[in-house]
Amino acid sequence: MDYEPKILGFLCNWCSYAGADLAGVSRIQYAPNLRVIRVMCSGRIDPIFILEGFLKGIDGFMVLGCHLGDCHYINGNYEAEIKIGVLNKLLKLIGFSERLILDWVSASEGNRFAQVVNEFTEKIRDLGPSPIKDEKYKINITDELNVIKSALSDIRLRVFIGRKRSIITEGNVYGEVISEEEFDKTLDQAIYDEYIRNKILLKIKNKSKSVLEISKEIRVEPNRVLKHIICLKSRGFVDFDKIIDIYPKFISIKEE
Amino acid sequence: MEEKLNNVLIIGGGIAGIQASLDLAERGINVELVEKNACLGGRMAQLDKTFPTNDCSICILAPKLADCSHNSKITLHTLSEVKELSGNVGNFKVKVLKKARYVKEDRCINCGACVEKCPMRVNDEFDMNLRKRKAIYIDYVQGVPSIMTIDKENCLFFTKGTCKICESVCEREAIDFDQKDKEIELFVGSIIIATGYDMFDVSLIPRLGYGRINNVVTGLEFERLICASGPLGGHLVIPSDKKEPKKLAFINCVGSRDIKNNPYCSSCCCMYTTKEAMIAYEHDNGLKSTIFYIDLRAPGKDFQKYIKRGNRDYNINYVKAKVAKIIEDKEKNPIVIYEDINTFKIKQEIFDMVILANTMVPKRDAGELAKVLGVELDHYNFFKGETYHPQLTSKKGIFLCGACREPMDIPTSVTDASSAAARAAEIIIER
Amino acid sequence: MEDIKIGIFICHCGTNIGGVLDIESITEYAKTLPNVIYATDNIYTCSEVGLTEIRDKIKEFNLNRVIVASCTPRTHETLFRNTCQEAGLNPYLFEMVNIRDQDSWVHMKEPEKGTEKAKDLIRMGLSKATLLRPLEKVKVDINPSALIIGGGISGMHAALNLANQGFQTTIIEKESELGGNLKLLNKLYPIQVDASKLLEIIYLVESHRNINVLTSSIPVKVEGFIGNFETTIKKNKQISKIKTGIIIIATGAKALNPEGLFGYNGKTVISQLDLEQLLKENNVKAQNIVMIQCVGARNDERPYCSNICCMTALKNAMLIKEMNPNANITILFRDIQTQGTTYEDYYRKAREKAILFVKYSPEKPPLVKDSVVEVYSELRNLIINIPYDLVVLSTPLIAHEDSTKLAKMLKIPQQGNKFFLEAHVKLRPSDFATDGIFICGSAHWPADVRESISQAYAAASRASRFLSKDYLEVEGATAEVDTEICIKCNICIKICPFSAISKNEEGEIVVNKILCKACGVCGASCPVGAITILHFTDEQIISEILSCGVGY
Repeated sequence: MDYEPKILGFLCNWCSYAGADLAGVSRIQYAPNLRVIRVMCSGRIDPIFILEGFLKGIDGFMVLGCHLGDCHYINGNYEAEIKIGVLNKLLKLIGFSERLILDWVSASEGNRFAQVVNEFTEKIRDLGPSPIKDEKYKINITDELNVIKSALSDIRLRVFIGRKRSIITEGNVYGEVISEEEFDKTLDQAIYDEYIRNKILLKIKNKSKSVLEISKEIRVEPNRVLKHIICLKSRGFVDFDKIIDIYPKFISIKEE
Repeated sequence: MEEKLNNVLIIGGGIAGIQASLDLAERGINVELVEKNACLGGRMAQLDKTFPTNDCSICILAPKLADCSHNSKITLHTLSEVKELSGNVGNFKVKVLKKARYVKEDRCINCGACVEKCPMRVNDEFDMNLRKRKAIYIDYVQGVPSIMTIDKENCLFFTKGTCKICESVCEREAIDFDQKDKEIELFVGSIIIATGYDMFDVSLIPRLGYGRINNVVTGLEFERLICASGPLGGHLVIPSDKKEPKKLAFINCVGSRDIKNNPYCSSCCCMYTTKEAMIAYEHDNGLKSTIFYIDLRAPGKDFQKYIKRGNRDYNINYVKAKVAKIIEDKEKNPIVIYEDINTFKIKQEIFDMVILANTMVPKRDAGELAKVLGVELDHYNFFKGETYHPQLTSKKGIFLCGACREPMDIPTSVTDASSAAARAAEIIIER
Repeated sequence: MEDIKIGIFICHCGTNIGGVLDIESITEYAKTLPNVIYATDNIYTCSEVGLTEIRDKIKEFNLNRVIVASCTPRTHETLFRNTCQEAGLNPYLFEMVNIRDQDSWVHMKEPEKGTEKAKDLIRMGLSKATLLRPLEKVKVDINPSALIIGGGISGMHAALNLANQGFQTTIIEKESELGGNLKLLNKLYPIQVDASKLLEIIYLVESHRNINVLTSSIPVKVEGFIGNFETTIKKNKQISKIKTGIIIIATGAKALNPEGLFGYNGKTVISQLDLEQLLKENNVKAQNIVMIQCVGARNDERPYCSNICCMTALKNAMLIKEMNPNANITILFRDIQTQGTTYEDYYRKAREKAILFVKYSPEKPPLVKDSVVEVYSELRNLIINIPYDLVVLSTPLIAHEDSTKLAKMLKIPQQGNKFFLEAHVKLRPSDFATDGIFICGSAHWPADVRESISQAYAAASRASRFLSKDYLEVEGATAEVDTEICIKCNICIKICPFSAISKNEEGEIVVNKILCKACGVCGASCPVGAITILHFTDEQIISEILSCGVGY
C-alpha cells in the first residue's frame, strides 16, 4: 500500500493563511498532502486539538502563525509558542515528537510557505505512517497519547501555560518577577509529574492496583509512585479500593 | 451661502493617502481617492520590512488596501491625475484625467493568464528596474485594485498593431483595446494632498560611483533585492558575481545635508540603513555591516533602542565619517574612501557591496500640481505648510500630509494623515 | 435538534479550478455527504448568475447551511455572507472552502491529488458547517461626547477639533489653569514666536459652546468601554461623574530636573527650563555660555533621545546671540537631532551665527569645574577647557509620576520609560489596543509644539470615527464565558490583549462583546474549558480534524 502522509495544518488568518494564498496567486507548486484548518490566530490552538488528530491517525501536524512581534492580536503567537512548547515536551516523553512543528510564515512569504510545507511533508514521508496505524504499536501509542491528552486537559498544566507570560513579565501574586529559566525549570518538573500521574491513572482505571504493581508496570520507583498516588488522592482522582495481603490497592475515580 | 459638499478629494494613494481615506470614510464622509499609478500602495509597498518593529511592510499594508477597496464610501480613481481646479473651500470642482487601462475593471479577476502569454518584456519600475515585467501587468501581486493594466508605450498592439494574445487568452473577455482616456469631474468640499516623494538621482554625485560601479546600489534598490517578493526572492547576492556578500557598507546623507544638492536632512536614513543591515544579517549571520553617518538621528519612539540593538546584536558598526568617493578594484569590489571624523584621518576600506541612502526629494511634478491647485511650495519644492499647523496650505480647504511636505517616516506619515483628515472633516462638518 | 439542510456550490472559476480539478467528480461526491440537500457547480459562483442561484436555492430548499467551494474567504467571505443574508439565511451559517488559491493553483501537476484534497476539504468544511450556529452582530449605542484628560496645547487642539464637529467635549486639567508646559516657555522654535501667542486658543477653548473645562480636576476612576465610558472626577474635594463615548489622553510630560547632574545649582549651572524663565524676564547676563546636551538621557536609565532638546538648545542659543552678539556660546553634543527641512535649515543658521559645537562621547562626559567646562573633543583628540559663566543643561522630557496610576485606571499599557504604549507604533500611533481611548502629545513620546498639535488632530480624527456614528456594530463571533464552569482564576482577564474580559459587580467573569476581537487565545488558555469561542468552537475545530480523511 502506497503511503501518502496525511498532514493537517492550522493556519492563522492574517499571516500564514495569507502566505498560503500568496503561494497560490504566484502559482508556486507544493506537496498536496496538507489539509488546512483556518483559525483567526495561532493562539487559538489548544494542544488537545492536535492530540485528537494524532489519536485519529494523522501523520503530521503543522501550526503556522505570524512572526513573533507581528501578531495581529498582539501576543497570540507568543501564547501559541508556549502551548506547543509544552505539548512538544510531552510528545518527546512518549517518543512521538517529530510529527509536530510550529513555525512562522508572514503574509508576504509565499515561497517560504511552500518550502516549509514541502520540507515537512518529506520529513513525515521519511518517518513513515503514524505508528498508531500499526497494529503492533496501536494500543501502546493510543494509551500514551491519551495519557498526555489527559495531562493537558487537567487544571495544573493549563494554569502553568496560561500564567507563564504574566508571571515572567509582571510577576506573581507576591510581586516577584520570575525569570523564564526559573519558570521553565518548575514547569518541566510539572510536565514530567503530570505525565506520570496520568499514566498511573490510566493503569488503575478499571482495575485497582498496589503501589508495587503500578511501579513495575510504569517503571518508576515505588516511593515516587506513592507520592503521586497521595497527590492524586488529594485531587479526588484516586481512591483506596481494597487491601490484599498487606498491600492496599488504589483505583481511579476520575470522571472522563 | 452654498451648501458645503460632503466629499473630500485625496490626491495620492500611498500610506498617507490611504490612512486619511480610511479615517474620513469611517467618519461617514465620502472620499474620492485619486492615484497616478495603476495600484495603491506607494513607496510602502516597495519596502521589505519597516522600522522600528521590522514587521513585513506588505503584510501590514494589505489589510488597509483591502479596507480601501471594500469601503463603500471610498471611490478609487487609479491611473488618474488632477488636471484642473476651480471653486473655493466647501465647493471645489476638480477635473481629473483618468488614463485608459485597456482592461475592463468589472471583468478582470487577476488570474494571470494574460501575463503568462504576453511576449513583451519591459523594465519593472516597481522593482527599481532590477527585473522585467510584461506589457500587461499588475504593479505587485497584492496590488489594489486587483486588476491588470496594459502599458501602452510597450504593448505590441499599440506600437505595431500586432499581437493581441492577451485578448485571445482572457476567458473573461476583459481586454478592451478601444478604451479611451477619460476626463471626469469631481465636486468636493476639501482636498488633501498626499503625493509622497521621489528619490534623489545619485548619478548627480558621480564620485560615489553609482551607475558606474555594479556593486553600488541605492537604498530602495537594496530594499527590493532583500525582499522575499523581489527580483532575488530575498536571497541577497552581489550584482557583479552573484556570490553572497560578507561586508556591506551603508552611506547615509547621500545628496542630503549637502549645500550643493539638498541642504536638508532626509529624516529616515539613519533608521532605514540600520534596518536594511539588520535584515541582511538575519539572512546571513556571517555578514558585517558598516554604516557611515554624520549625526545618528533616532529621536522617535524606541528608535534609540533599535540602533543599539543593531550595534549590539546584528554586527553593525557605526562610523562617523564623510565619504569622499567610491572606486572599485579589479575584482569589482567597491572601495569606500572616507574621512574618519573622530580621528581626522583619510581611510579606505573594501566592501562587497555599497548601499547609498539617497535623499527623499519632492516629486518631479510637484510644481505642476502646486500650480493647478494654487498652493505654495517651499524653497525645496516640497508642499509648504504653516509652521505650527503643517497640514494647512496657503489655500483654505486644501491640506497636506505625508512626505510630500517634508521627508518623514511611516509613523509620522500616519499621524499626519489622520491630522489632515481631521482638518478636512472640520471644514465639511463644522457646526 | 434541528434538521440540517446543506447546499453546496462548487466553483469552476473559469479554468482556474475547472481546468485542473475534476469538478464533476467533486460535485458527485458532495451529493453523498450527510445532510446535503443540494449540490451544484458554477462557472463563476461570485458572478450575478452564481449569487442569484445561491439566493434562489436557499429559498427553494429552505437551506439552513451554505457552503461555497471556490477561492479564498479572505477576499470573498463577506460577499457570500451578504448573499446568504439577502436570502434570509443568517450570514454566520455560511462556510467557505478554499479549493483554488490553496488547491488548484498549487497542484497543477497533480490534478488527481488536487481533486482528492478538494473532496477532503469540502468534507471538513461541511463537518464544521453542520455545527455552526446563527449569530447576531452586536449593537452598542455611542455617547457622542468626548473626555480629554489634560489641557495643554495638545488637549486643547483636540478639543477644538471635536467641538467644531459638534461633539460635546470636556477637558479635565490637573492645574488651576489651561496651557500646560507652554506656560513655562519663552519663545518657540523654529520661528521664535512667543509661547503666549499659541496659548491664545485658551480663549477659544473656554468660550466654545461645546467645550466644558474643569481645572484643578483629576480622574479617579474609569469604568465602561467604548461608546460608554463613565469617569469619576475629583475637583478639590468634590466628586462628580461624567459619561462620554471616548477618552483622549493628553497629559503631556515634564522636563527632568537635573538635580545631582553636572553640578546643577540653579544659579550658574541651570536647566533649559530655568533658562526659558530667565529669557522671559530678559535676565540673561552671562557672556560665556556652555550648553550640554543629553543630560540624563541616552543612558542606561533613560535609553532614549528626547527629540526636542537639540532644537531647544539651538533656539535659546540663537536668542541669546541676538540680544548679545558678543556672547560666546558652545554646545556640547552627542548627535544633533534636526531632521527634515525646516529643522536642518535652523541648525545651519545656528552655525552661521558662530555658535560653536563640540562632540563628546558618553564614555567621556564633560566635567563642569569652577570656571571651566572640561571636555574631551573626539575630533581634535584633546581636552578642551571652555571658560563659562553659565552652564545650561538640556534634559529630556520624562513621563509624569502619576502616569502609572492613570495607566492602571484606564487599563492601558506603558512602555519601558513609562510613556503610554499605543496599539501599533507604525499604523495606529494614536490609538490604544483598547477601543475608544486615544493619545496625543508628549504623553505618547517627547514631542514639540508642532508635533503635539499634529497628533492632537490625529487623535481627534481617530476618535470622531466612533463619535459620528449613532451606534457601533461589532462582529457577533466573540468569546463567551460559562459562569457555571468558570473557576475565577483570572487567567483570561490577564491574557486578553484588548482588556475585553473583566469581573462584573457580582464577581462573575464576563466578556465584553464590543471589545472582544475573537482571537481565541482566552478559549485555548482557560484551565477548565469555560470559554467558548463562537464560530471557532472546540467542537467545530475538532470536527474538522476528525473528518480530514484518516481512519484506522
